[in-house]
Amino acid sequence: MTFSLLHATDFADRLLYKIIPPLKAGMIVLADRYAYTAFARDATRGVDRQWVRELYSFAVRPDLALYFRVPIDVSVERLMARRVKLKFYEAGMDLGWSTNPVESFRMFQGKVLDEYDHLVDEFGMEVVDARSSITTQQRTVRALIAQHVQLRRGDAPAGEITHDESV
Amino acid sequence: MTSPSDTPESDEPGANGGSIAGRYYGRGIPYLSINDYPGKLIAVEGTDGVGRSIQIQLLREWLEVRGYGVIETGWTRSQLMQPTIELAKSSNTLNKLTFVLLYATDFADRLEKEIIPALKAGFIVLSDRYIFTALARAGVRGVDRQWLRNLYGFAIAPHMVFYLNVDVKTLIGRVLESRGMDYWESGMDLKHGDDIYDSFRTYQNRLLKEYQSMADEFHFRVLDARRPVDRIQDELRKQVGAFLEPVEKAPEPVLTGNKV
Repeated sequence: MTFSLLHATDFADRLLYKIIPPLKAGMIVLADRYAYTAFARDATRGVDRQWVRELYSFAVRPDLALYFRVPIDVSVERLMARRVKLKFYEAGMDLGWSTNPVESFRMFQGKVLDEYDHLVDEFGMEVVDARSSITTQQRTVRALIAQHVQLRRGDAPAGEITHDESV
Repeated sequence: MTSPSDTPESDEPGANGGSIAGRYYGRGIPYLSINDYPGKLIAVEGTDGVGRSIQIQLLREWLEVRGYGVIETGWTRSQLMQPTIELAKSSNTLNKLTFVLLYATDFADRLEKEIIPALKAGFIVLSDRYIFTALARAGVRGVDRQWLRNLYGFAIAPHMVFYLNVDVKTLIGRVLESRGMDYWESGMDLKHGDDIYDSFRTYQNRLLKEYQSMADEFHFRVLDARRPVDRIQDELRKQVGAFLEPVEKAPEPVLTGNKV
């Protein structure tokens, strides 16, 4: 519960200071993770699904939500290729499912991915196959975004704010 | 949360909390089952400076002398959140939403780490303030009431909620005699003006109205806090005693086997 609520607090702070003002100014806000992360992660930790959705009902519904889907094996493989140590909470070590971080990560994130699959339907998220090459993915993303944003060639670029959430 | 109209009257003498006392108000915490825990949760509510702490201290002594295990818990006292809340209050970046959520996080921590384990072990948990303070403060600040009730759906309905009721005039006298008016207790963040006295009066007036509006919904046992400390304490002990040991009030029927 505290894990869930602390993230919600952080989210509320960023929403009010970093997301809503640029939206009011007509800018495009790119959010690296959004409330969906909380829906998937908190549900996996055993928090009531409906409660988390109500908790985040103050969030702005995105015009477009992209979900980069990847099988758990690919995810583990990619992570292990570039760093040795998995983060404690990222691996769901707090749940005590396994003392082996990699095994715990596989179990925890596997369940998180299952939750995401439900979210895709529930919230109409656009799925991008994250197993494909970066170029292919980027083309898919651009095609999806073009449906929502009128990109004008030659104009000064519209203001853009990138927004990250640490996990 | 359950309103009194959906709650059948309790068959437990003295249990004003209705049949939901000791259970989650709303969706609860799915991974923590709290059914049939032997402990009792007693909340003492009331605005700033109304005299909650002294009443709890006296009640605790009385209960301990009678052999009960007692623990106290109080708003923003969690190990996890207290430093964060103090820091956030001093940084002037808090808005009404983050304010509410920080308090809720603090409460969740105390619920999981203090209150629920104590109830499981059969303690009497005396809570100096409970979620009603959070609901009142947030209500005054214009946060959606239904959202707040959903948020606190993980809270446990206390077995008893005592509300120390006071009028603003009496309150002002007491606060000025003791420690003086403080920024947050005066609702200075609501920017009613620069005058702390006026702000305190306006803010506390609205806060008292919020508390009043919850009295029925959450089965408050209202105590007149303008009376002397001892008189209030007598009333508290009488009601708590009747709830904890109803057998002392009425001799146990031998044949009916009536469980109390």
